[in-house]
Amino acid sequence: MRLGWKELVRRPGRFIATGGALTLIVILLLLLGGLLDGLFNASTGAYRAQTAELIVYSADSRDSLLRSRIDPATEDAIRAIPGVRRVSGTGAVLIAGRVLGGGTVDLAVVGYEAPNRQVPPPPEPGRAYADATLEAEGVALGDTIAIGPSEVPVEVVGWVEDTRYLAQGTLWVEPGTWHEVLVTARPDAALDEDTFQAALVETTDDAEAVAGRIRGQVPGTSPLTIDEAVFALPGVQAQNDTFAQIIGVTFAIAGLVVALFFALVVLERLGLLGMLKAVGASTRQLAAGLITQAVLVALGAFVVGGAISLALAAVVPAEVPVELEVRRAAITGVGVLVTSLIGSAVSFRRIVRIDPASAVGGS
Amino acid sequence: MRLALAEMRRAKLRFGLLTGAVALLVFLIIFQQTLASALLGFFTGGLEHQSAEVLVYGEDARRNVEGSLILPGTLERVAAVEGVGTAAPLAENTFTVRAGGELQDAVLFGYELGGPGAPTRLSEGRLAETDGEAVASSVDADNGFGIGDVVEVVPGGHRIRIVGLADDSRFAVLPTLFTSYATFEAASRAANPDARDVQASLIAVHPAPGVEPEALAARITREVDGVEALDRQTAADSLPAVSSISSSFQVVLGLAFVVVVLVTGFFFLILTVQKTQALTLLRAVGASSWYLIRNLALQVALVTVIGVAIASALLAIAAAASSEEFPIEADPGLIATTGGAVLVLALLASLASVRRVARIDPFTATTRPTGGGLA
Repeated sequence: MRLGWKELVRRPGRFIATGGALTLIVILLLLLGGLLDGLFNASTGAYRAQTAELIVYSADSRDSLLRSRIDPATEDAIRAIPGVRRVSGTGAVLIAGRVLGGGTVDLAVVGYEAPNRQVPPPPEPGRAYADATLEAEGVALGDTIAIGPSEVPVEVVGWVEDTRYLAQGTLWVEPGTWHEVLVTARPDAALDEDTFQAALVETTDDAEAVAGRIRGQVPGTSPLTIDEAVFALPGVQAQNDTFAQIIGVTFAIAGLVVALFFALVVLERLGLLGMLKAVGASTRQLAAGLITQAVLVALGAFVVGGAISLALAAVVPAEVPVELEVRRAAITGVGVLVTSLIGSAVSFRRIVRIDPASAVGGS
Repeated sequence: MRLALAEMRRAKLRFGLLTGAVALLVFLIIFQQTLASALLGFFTGGLEHQSAEVLVYGEDARRNVEGSLILPGTLERVAAVEGVGTAAPLAENTFTVRAGGELQDAVLFGYELGGPGAPTRLSEGRLAETDGEAVASSVDADNGFGIGDVVEVVPGGHRIRIVGLADDSRFAVLPTLFTSYATFEAASRAANPDARDVQASLIAVHPAPGVEPEALAARITREVDGVEALDRQTAADSLPAVSSISSSFQVVLGLAFVVVVLVTGFFFLILTVQKTQALTLLRAVGASSWYLIRNLALQVALVTVIGVAIASALLAIAAAASSEEFPIEADPGLIATTGGAVLVLALLASLASVRRVARIDPFTATTRPTGGGLA
């Protein structure tokens, strides 16, 4: 292992090609992962914020919040199911708003009855908690936003974090204000005063068991766990699957590139390795040196690639929603390390087959 | 040239790994381009391939069809603008429908039959002529949206019969139906009995003869309060997520191109360095620099062409395995363009190796002990 380390320190130029290619692949992987996380977070925050275990849609909505409707009778029926602790109504409308004295912003106005992990209990009518991302769009605390064509006025009274919905910054308002916005913005989607788009259900029992009971006992409903609901949001599952495939192919490329360049490095040193075998070095020692080099090159590529990715993420245009997360970086780091080890293993066979006699007899 | 091929045959592992890496990189590039192109087409097709050359949005819509609402009286004011030939309401919304025996999401465009807003890429059947008929996006024909199929809006049970198919006409990545405005209104009221009113999302405009759509759009925006008018292409390009999808894929594609160039360039450079003694000897026994360079270029070209061929096969497999909801097609034009670009870039990347080969001095063969010469 020391031999591998020393060669790396004394002849770094020999590994520049592998390191450089692997660094670019790390950047590619981190940016792809960052894009996936950015798109996922921007679409799903309002759901991930929920403390309720279940969300219930109407069955014919195909689990689309915007097309679902849960009337008070259905809500009562859900409330009566064993294992249900609390039921609250919610709904959303995607719309633009004009900051008085400022510009226009895209919004998701969310009506809600119960607090969740990120959002306190509903504010007074005509007031809203705003997702913190709206601050970058020119919204400030105390601003009044005129929502929709009828310019329903809503005052921002606080910030909440990570609650975006379908790539829009959210405004969290009490049910009356939400119904008013819905009626004026989408008269075709208007709902009666006590009707919501969906019901959030907190349970005292196993969530999936309660979901099964609701499905069986309340006709016309489609109960989902919050995790299921997140992946039922438009485009989220397809987005995750597509990016997972692209990231998988990129990892395979990383393995091939490492295999390729280490095959060249080993080939270049065949004579030297034969000499080492002749003076007593075992195949295991030589392989350990190779593994050390593969691990160090992968780590170096990860560190440099990570730093460049951070810099790139800071300068990419705002419409590219890259969010670099520690969890994603850890997955990428481990993935690159493992693929590098697998890639370098391709050269083991050549090391095993080195004949020590070649050191004195020529190759 | 035999030299290049013989070397590749004898160093199968090295050239095999390089070809594999290039193949996967090219696959990554063409797969992403195919995905991006399909995704953008499915997002915007319905708007891009309808007949209105100018589309008028509610001012607060921020160019988002789903967020646009045309207030009463606006249609008349737009129709009165000089240069407007025909102006008619165009409505859009997403519905749950039963098609092919299954519940599915579908977009409905409601337009005044015979007016602006009709699909322009009719590939089979005919346009809707009465209420209750529709043209569907052709890519969804086998999924319950074929000619003669009846689609039922859920809830409410409003029925729409498919009478035609239009290519490249999906919207928001969903099956899309173009039907009469009255059918749209009826479907909306059936789906939501609480609906207070059904209003148009946009105003579809045909310019008068000789009027440029861009100029007319600017005039409508200027002269009518509370609206923003756009020509058709600008409207399609301005849809939410279009610029975000394009920019995101461009960043990733740019990086993938850099990786393929770097890997190919470094590989041949290292190989040339490793072969310097042999190449020197070849020069000493009469091989010209041009001969060696041609062999190098042939190897680069072969690796790239085989890599592109493997990548194309992988793309064909991916296209065959793609889902009915998001079908992708391997586009030969895209493969040829990308393959050509990768080949040119790979040849450019091998210039460092070419330079090294060109600078080999045959005389040094006589001064290298390892090459058989005298120090």
